[in-house]
Amino acid sequence: MTSYRSMILFTLPAMIVLGMFFVYPIFLTFQMSLTNFTGVGEAENIGLKNYDRIISRSRYPDALWVTVKFTVVVVLIQTLLGLAFAAMLHRLPAVRNFARAALFTPAMMSFVVVGYVWQFIYSPFSGGLNAMLRGAGLDWMAKGWLGDPDTALYAIAFAHIWMFTGYTTAIFLAGYANISSDIDEAGRLDGASSWQRFRHLEVPLLAPSFTINIMLSTIGTLKTFELPFIMTRGGPDGATRTLSLEIIEQLFGQYRFGFASALSIIMLVIVIAVAVFQNWYLRRREDV
Amino acid sequence: MPALNIRQLLLNVLVVALVVAMLLPLFYMITMSFRTATEIAEAPLGLPDRLAWENYAQAFGGMNYVRAVINSVGITISVTVLTALLGSMAAFPLARNTSGFARIFILLVALGLATPNFVTITPIYVIFRDLGLLDTYLGIILAFTALNLPLAVFFYVGFIGAIPKDLVEAAKLDNCSDWQAFWYVVRPLLGPATATLSLFVMLMVWNDFTYPLLLLTDKDKFTVTISVYRFVGNQNIQPDMLFPAAVLGSLPLLILFAIFQRRIVAGVTAGAVK
Amino acid sequence: MKTQLKLSTALSVVAILSSGAVYAQQATLDVTAWKGNEAEPAGLPELIEKFEAEHPEIDVELSYIGRLDTDTVIPPRLQAGDPPDVMMTDMPLVKIWGDAGLLADLGTDSEWFARIPDGLKASISSDDAAFIMPLEVIGMGNFVNMGLLGQVGIEEPPTTIEELKATCGALADADINPLIFTGGFSAPLFLIANGIEGSDVPASALGSGDSTFVDSASFNSGIDLIRELREARCFDPDQQAGLDPWSTALNEFSGGNFAMMPQGAWNIASFNEVEGLDYVFAPIPSSKESGVALDLFGIGWSIAERSENKDAAKVFVDWFAQPENLQIMLDAESAYSPFDDGASGTPDLAAAYDQSRIDGGVINYPFAVLDWPKALESEIWDSLTGFLLDTSKSNSDVLERWDWAVEDSL
Repeated sequence: MTSYRSMILFTLPAMIVLGMFFVYPIFLTFQMSLTNFTGVGEAENIGLKNYDRIISRSRYPDALWVTVKFTVVVVLIQTLLGLAFAAMLHRLPAVRNFARAALFTPAMMSFVVVGYVWQFIYSPFSGGLNAMLRGAGLDWMAKGWLGDPDTALYAIAFAHIWMFTGYTTAIFLAGYANISSDIDEAGRLDGASSWQRFRHLEVPLLAPSFTINIMLSTIGTLKTFELPFIMTRGGPDGATRTLSLEIIEQLFGQYRFGFASALSIIMLVIVIAVAVFQNWYLRRREDV
Repeated sequence: MPALNIRQLLLNVLVVALVVAMLLPLFYMITMSFRTATEIAEAPLGLPDRLAWENYAQAFGGMNYVRAVINSVGITISVTVLTALLGSMAAFPLARNTSGFARIFILLVALGLATPNFVTITPIYVIFRDLGLLDTYLGIILAFTALNLPLAVFFYVGFIGAIPKDLVEAAKLDNCSDWQAFWYVVRPLLGPATATLSLFVMLMVWNDFTYPLLLLTDKDKFTVTISVYRFVGNQNIQPDMLFPAAVLGSLPLLILFAIFQRRIVAGVTAGAVK
Repeated sequence: MKTQLKLSTALSVVAILSSGAVYAQQATLDVTAWKGNEAEPAGLPELIEKFEAEHPEIDVELSYIGRLDTDTVIPPRLQAGDPPDVMMTDMPLVKIWGDAGLLADLGTDSEWFARIPDGLKASISSDDAAFIMPLEVIGMGNFVNMGLLGQVGIEEPPTTIEELKATCGALADADINPLIFTGGFSAPLFLIANGIEGSDVPASALGSGDSTFVDSASFNSGIDLIRELREARCFDPDQQAGLDPWSTALNEFSGGNFAMMPQGAWNIASFNEVEGLDYVFAPIPSSKESGVALDLFGIGWSIAERSENKDAAKVFVDWFAQPENLQIMLDAESAYSPFDDGASGTPDLAAAYDQSRIDGGVINYPFAVLDWPKALESEIWDSLTGFLLDTSKSNSDVLERWDWAVEDSL
């Protein structure tokens, strides 16, 4: 057991860094959120006016709604897709390693690259997706995918899912590796079909993998900013303007540091609430 | 059971086909990078008539590529060393301590894991400006270190907690100071944890967009990611510049992945599971 | 550059020898601008060369920083004490930086300030301080492809709403796309021009919240007008959604795929390079016979308060105010002089726009002279993008959002 004094000394460097660039900034964010600070000059205290604006304008609840929609779509589809791949690969050892690595490859790329490449794939005139549809005789389906408010958000969500499905698959496969082969064998001897084993044995036993996957992808997507920033800048008409994108927009498009801080605080509250709830709910589920 | 084997074979083929379909955008990116703008406008999906290396020459120069790679590597190494050092130091006493201080510290770290960097980006920008850290290597390294530190502390607390207590106790009996116990007994055992951690740090530093976008403005200090963004964005999204820049921007990590793919997938997965 | 340096060294050596004292100290000016690159040279490379030849004691180093990047790149430098000496600015920037004391007062008693027309004088000075030396006023109007109009027997660009509708109909009958009308830029130009022209209150009253867009008769009828243009087959909303006003739209117009496009005169230089494109730059059609000339007071030079080369910077800025120097930029930009000398660099193909200015159809783009807050601009673009895709939305659905944007930035 280390002494109290050396505990302080050992943690001091980390405390300084975390204090300066994490704790103090959160405190500052809260303080700035009560002002009309523009980044330069003096800040004037304006009480809760920023927060009042956020709830009384449809623009900001809309941004929250966009964020929630995006998160739900991505988390749901990515988890199911990852699970499907993992379940298949678990049964197909011959291609497992190749497929796992191949699916994982997009996760090694940056949002900037993925955003630009998919932006071009979706582009109305010489983009790959429309060219493919036209080639298949589906001309009527070709459209400006990112220019239409009905499809823009889902088009971006698809690119995000493409990027991270391999990650989800890999985590599920790690979960499979922890399932004792005896259990699977027992199920087989009982005459359970592949689907029955999946549904009644594997899915419950994969509960910890579900927890990790869902929590990781939820936290990752709630703060989504890069793909909409690059692919649409939040357009058309705010259809892809997420909360994070709105913060950056207020900050550097309009110099409203105070207002952006208020949005940040709201985001912090939401993310923590979701993380705590998910952790509690999913862990409880694991124990059942 | 020949029937089953055929089914098995078909399933294999099906899965491989699905995986290949998922890789189509990558194939598209590479193919397009060798085509001229006119070729793409005339036939959006064709193969290159010839390899248009001039696309790459243009992107290579325009992105200031060599400089950007050096910057990314330098920043990654600095952040990894700093994060590993500060993280393991803090974790050493915290791993077996249950005092109020330790609990509060761990709680803070957990909060840090969940907090998106957007919450603190505004004040960090202001603090950096006041300290003259904007547009400096030191600034961006500190920002990334702070962002990764919670993860590092978590990692090392779990890892050090699993090291047999007796080892440290024995060192103490030999009159080692706490620091000597940490440096000569515990630190050499942390190799695997540090390897996994550096994987995370490398991925995040290499691919992060937000911090360098807001904190770096001098083009000689750009990371690879931000130089892709600036290069493509300043040219109104021309395909003959976009795709080679995208390939160059991904190339270093893709090469690394091709060599170490097993260890990278295993490391990142294990890191997430812990 | 090298010969320049040699020349200036030689000259200063001569100066030292002849006066016997260190007299001509070499100054290097750090200048930033979002023009002067290859895409939009604005005559700057040529001008700087000329300036250095006339002022051998001053070296100019121009760095290109895009307008959007200017927001993030320059403020920390201004505040950290490492500012550029001279910066290209516009009024939204001057408002923030000037008010915070980061810009040097160029003096309302200077020679060039007296030459600014009174209307503009008030807009660009605050509390008797002038933080910007204006360089140009650029027209925003309607680009019209006369080749395509000729195919349906129309010889003049439309300047009234009725003419515009008739032109659209004739073009649509001949399967020619009439109008580029993106919610992102072109449609707002049309609506803002018509809304302000018919308004009972000055634009500044709308931008300060003293009166509202929701209650403005002219902006309400402006939105009705957009519905009418749609009826008249001027544009297909779904087609517009795929166009980016800053890239694809320009290519589509210069490629001859659309007959008309509200845009800025800075495009003239690049359109002139397109072979076989027979076009004119006309005013924005309105209820007035002359149409509306929507003038954008665009850019100017500002000097950093903490610049270490203020004297040299002032020489540089004043030099641009000389008509013979400014003319080079006006020609490159197809712009008008911000001074009262009536100089312009617009080519003949902008005659219709010029005429509208003479006939009194000028309206100042309200964002450039700070009549409207900058935040409203993107809100207008967003709201019109949404409206064009669903014209069944009510007028107040659109205009209410404008009023909110105004209120939020007060």
